Amino acid sequence: MVSIRAENLGLAYRVRQKLTLAARDRRMVTGGRIEGEGRSRHVTALEDVSFHLSAGDRLGLVGPNGAGKTTLLKVLYGIYEPTAGRVEINGRVDALFNINLGFRREATGRRNIVLRGLINGWSQEEIETRMEEIIEFSELGDFIDLPFKAYSQGMAARLAFSVATTLEPEILLMDEWIGAGDPSFQEKARERMATLAEKAGIIVLASHNPALIEKTCNKVLELEKGHVKALRSVEDRVRSKSD
Amino acid sequence: MLKVVRSALADIGRGLRMRNVWMALAREDIGDQHKRTTLGPVWLLVNYLAYAGTFVVIFGHNPAIPNFPAFVAVGLFVWLYLSEVITQGVSLFTREQSFISGTTLPVTVYVMRMTMQSVIRAAYALAGCLAIVLIEGTPVTSFWLWSALGLVLIVFATPAVITLCAIGGAFFPDVNFLVQNLMRLGLFVTPIFWTRLSEGGMRALIYHWNPFTYFLEIVRIPVIDGRVPFHALGICATITFFLWATAVLLLGRLRKQIVFVL
Repeated sequence: MVSIRAENLGLAYRVRQKLTLAARDRRMVTGGRIEGEGRSRHVTALEDVSFHLSAGDRLGLVGPNGAGKTTLLKVLYGIYEPTAGRVEINGRVDALFNINLGFRREATGRRNIVLRGLINGWSQEEIETRMEEIIEFSELGDFIDLPFKAYSQGMAARLAFSVATTLEPEILLMDEWIGAGDPSFQEKARERMATLAEKAGIIVLASHNPALIEKTCNKVLELEKGHVKALRSVEDRVRSKSD
Repeated sequence: MLKVVRSALADIGRGLRMRNVWMALAREDIGDQHKRTTLGPVWLLVNYLAYAGTFVVIFGHNPAIPNFPAFVAVGLFVWLYLSEVITQGVSLFTREQSFISGTTLPVTVYVMRMTMQSVIRAAYALAGCLAIVLIEGTPVTSFWLWSALGLVLIVFATPAVITLCAIGGAFFPDVNFLVQNLMRLGLFVTPIFWTRLSEGGMRALIYHWNPFTYFLEIVRIPVIDGRVPFHALGICATITFFLWATAVLLLGRLRKQIVFVL
């Protein structure tokens, strides 16, 4: 059964004083709070995050910049290893973080589907079987045989979404994804997301767009400086906003 | 310790199983680099021939080294490969930052992608190297198989070297510039176009203590001198063993931290 269980999840990492003569780069790779001084200086990106999702759940992650939304998605995907608590995931996970990731500017859309499929861990047969479906869903037409650099941002987003959702991942993680593409494609994408959720999938979507969260999700996790501020249903969130 | 080694081996195992990914990406990389050029990747061969030709013309025929053009051709071929692996290796994780922070691909995939790229580039240079060696009338003997073994050993050591350089470059960015300068110096302190004249003196010391010397020798001695370089092979095998041992330990210990330092 598809599920995600996070228990007291935490992520903290030491801010390394790099051995460099250049001006120190004080940007953090994740959001969160900076604590400590000198060698014990560290960033607490997530702290005590707990939730449980089961088949059909669509969780919206909200919160200001640096709240830990993307960090949490990356912990769920396995890019960051939690330093406290535990996360238990049952199901095949796919993610849409950076829509252009893995796409090569010089390669055609068709070749990019092959490369992206290989990166996603698909077999050659799976890629060939799904190729036409991906092309059709992306609505790229003859553009599919043109280099990726000729695509508009919306076309790139359509191709990325088509590739990421064609194999019907059991768990789909998305970060600020849906802004690109024309309204008709957005509607089509929403339909596919609904279908995915109905097919016993889980969707976790981080967004600053309340309308998108309310339309797409059934639960909302509000983060603030790496902490859970609230975890509630979309209906409760809408009700509390209108009160 | 066991956990660290197991973590590294799991990464290496996963990376090797994903060979269709790094092989495809490496081929694309080479293709993209020469896109829209008339000669395409043949430029890699032209570059090597131009480099080797310049060395031979400038340094002329060295009376102390019979068959000097072939001597330079083989030495330069190995040196250029090693130099590229090290200088490109230190910036590997910085170049792959978007992949590392956006996918769960094992670190070994990036290492093998670069290894594959370097081997493809070297294959073009090897064609030029063989052409010079044969034109110079170097006899083809069964000793050449020992050279082939030397090349296999160098390719086997490559992922370990890249892993170490990439981790060093990610955690200590100044290593990038340090390595570039050292490799420029390395061109002159490595016996590419010179050889040890006697047992004493500064040149003999540099020859003796420079580890690159032995990696050149395991490929060059069988072709140029027609003998088996047992001593150099032993040293290279030992260095390769320690490179891999260190790479496995560092990979296991640091692979999950790389994403935080880029």
